[in-house]
Amino acid sequence: MRTRALLLASAASAAAIIGGWQLGTAATDSLTTAGGSTTTDGSAATDGSTGSSATGSTGDSGTSGSDASAGSSATDAAASSGAATSTSGATDGTYAGTTVSTRFGDAQVQVTISGGAITDVTALQLPDHDGRSVQISNRAASVLQSEVLQAQSSSVSMVSGATYTSSAYLQSLQAALDAAGF
Amino acid sequence: MAFLVHDARHLERPARPFGGGSERSRAGRRLWRVDLLQAAAVASVAVAIALFLAEGGITRFADPGSALTSLGIIAGLAATDLVLVMLLLAARVPLIERAVGHDAAMALHNRLGKPVLSLLLAHGVLLLAGYAIADGVDLVAEAVAIWNLPDLPLAILGFGLFLAVVVSSLVAVRRKLRYEVWHVIHLLVYVAVLAALPHQFSVGGLFAVGTWQWAYWLVITFGTFAAVVGYRVVAPVVASLRHGLVVERIDPVGDQRDGVVSVTMRGRRLAALRATGGQFFIWRFLAAGQWWQAHPYSLSAAPRGDRLRITVRALGDGSASLAGIRPGTRVALEGPYGIFSEASRSRRRLTLVAAGIGVTPIRSLLESATFRPGEATVVLRTQGPAEGWLLDEVRDLCHRRGATLITVPGGRGRGWLTPSAERQGLDLPALVPAVADSDLYVCGPRGWAEGVISEARAAGLTDEQIHHERFDW
Repeated sequence: MRTRALLLASAASAAAIIGGWQLGTAATDSLTTAGGSTTTDGSAATDGSTGSSATGSTGDSGTSGSDASAGSSATDAAASSGAATSTSGATDGTYAGTTVSTRFGDAQVQVTISGGAITDVTALQLPDHDGRSVQISNRAASVLQSEVLQAQSSSVSMVSGATYTSSAYLQSLQAALDAAGF
Repeated sequence: MAFLVHDARHLERPARPFGGGSERSRAGRRLWRVDLLQAAAVASVAVAIALFLAEGGITRFADPGSALTSLGIIAGLAATDLVLVMLLLAARVPLIERAVGHDAAMALHNRLGKPVLSLLLAHGVLLLAGYAIADGVDLVAEAVAIWNLPDLPLAILGFGLFLAVVVSSLVAVRRKLRYEVWHVIHLLVYVAVLAALPHQFSVGGLFAVGTWQWAYWLVITFGTFAAVVGYRVVAPVVASLRHGLVVERIDPVGDQRDGVVSVTMRGRRLAALRATGGQFFIWRFLAAGQWWQAHPYSLSAAPRGDRLRITVRALGDGSASLAGIRPGTRVALEGPYGIFSEASRSRRRLTLVAAGIGVTPIRSLLESATFRPGEATVVLRTQGPAEGWLLDEVRDLCHRRGATLITVPGGRGRGWLTPSAERQGLDLPALVPAVADSDLYVCGPRGWAEGVISEARAAGLTDEQIHHERFDW
């Protein structure tokens, strides 16, 4: 290769890779804050714009996962019938969380509250756009399920190598817990 | 010993004060195209990686498992991109053929095979390790899990085919294979690419529908295949049908026992091919037992009217039986190819050097090249001072156009000249005093040509002045 070709190639390549890296980093900054509106009726919230779709557009809602409960105090209508018994104020029953979209597919979690405790967590839907995602999702779901049952909250650490799935799973779980008033 | 058969050096006049330099500016434009094409090839790999980084960025490298997986994916993307570059280099795309030349394009194509194979291996190993770490299982268990991914067995088949293609092209292996066997194995590369394609869309979630990455890969993959089909299948078939080339006559050249013949072909509207002296076509003689063999042969005369001519020596299985071809045999053609022609000129003066049957493109180039009397010198390594293939024709052309002709008869010495010429201390600058400020065209056996070229470099010629084409692909 001649010098001029080498210079042209280096400049074009460097510009492309730096640009790509910047775009990727900007888009994933919003992932860690897990933004997005949280409607408690899971079945309705299937619009692709919620959640961490890596477009960078989700960060502007300014809501982090923790303050999603702000608007959900009056939304326990979605839940099943059950007597309010627990000290935590949670109603027994089964609650479905929001559907959270990721670039690998949607995630939705269902939680069962009994006697004021989380007794079961089931994934209704996990990122499944491709074969590898299915593998990762299944692995992450079983880890997250046992961690959530142990911690009795959605404040558990993400599964490494399954960032998108973990984030979406826990976000949906938190919405379900909010609906339960847990 | 060297013989000055025709001396035209005294005819040279000073360059015109204005109007000169057109060769230089044309060479400048061509070299810009070469540089841009090379930069584009490299940048395409960078763009492939950039598009991957744009989806995920730093999170792709957050933990060891993800980092290995990401590196594995990058290796796979780079390999895929380079395979497409290889296909384009071999697709006879006019833009590439005219700027870089067939010869240089194929040289790069050849050089990329092994690096791509390494990248594909790295792709497999890194992903296996990355997945195993992420899933917390050992490599064997992960290998089983990976095997069950959709389209993965197909992709592994693709890798196997690619391996076969590269191995069959290693010099040591290729020498043992018949050209046709090698060629059939080589065609498997298209199957390999198509077999590898599905897993790129179904396993990594990488090319999710609608993303930039998805669009980019779809466009470059199908663009490349369209170029291959268009320029290697459709264009030759159309040209062959359109020009209806037929063998008109076959004339022995020189001693019958050497098996050298000139084949003159007649066709329709040949001017539309825009072929010039020094270029070559890939010919197929549509006769029983012949049609499936494709021969790359240079024109041995500049195209004139509705006629094309090649001069062929019995080399390889195909050429030997060419003598059995009769007038009236139909001919399919692919081309013209190569920039061993006016297209690569960079200087006013011209030095043409050939050995043996390598005289053929030199003969046609001498006919169609632009030069004024005294500006061109032809040096031929021949059997005798006055005997050599096409020597009469070359001598006539030199007389007519005012070019100097030197023959160096005899067997080859240690360098590119004969032992007697070497003892006399002859070399390229001694034979052609103005060689350092000329375009040098070299055609002959590989080792011999390398001898000429290294002497030219020592005499101060730059790469843009040295033109050499290999035909032993």
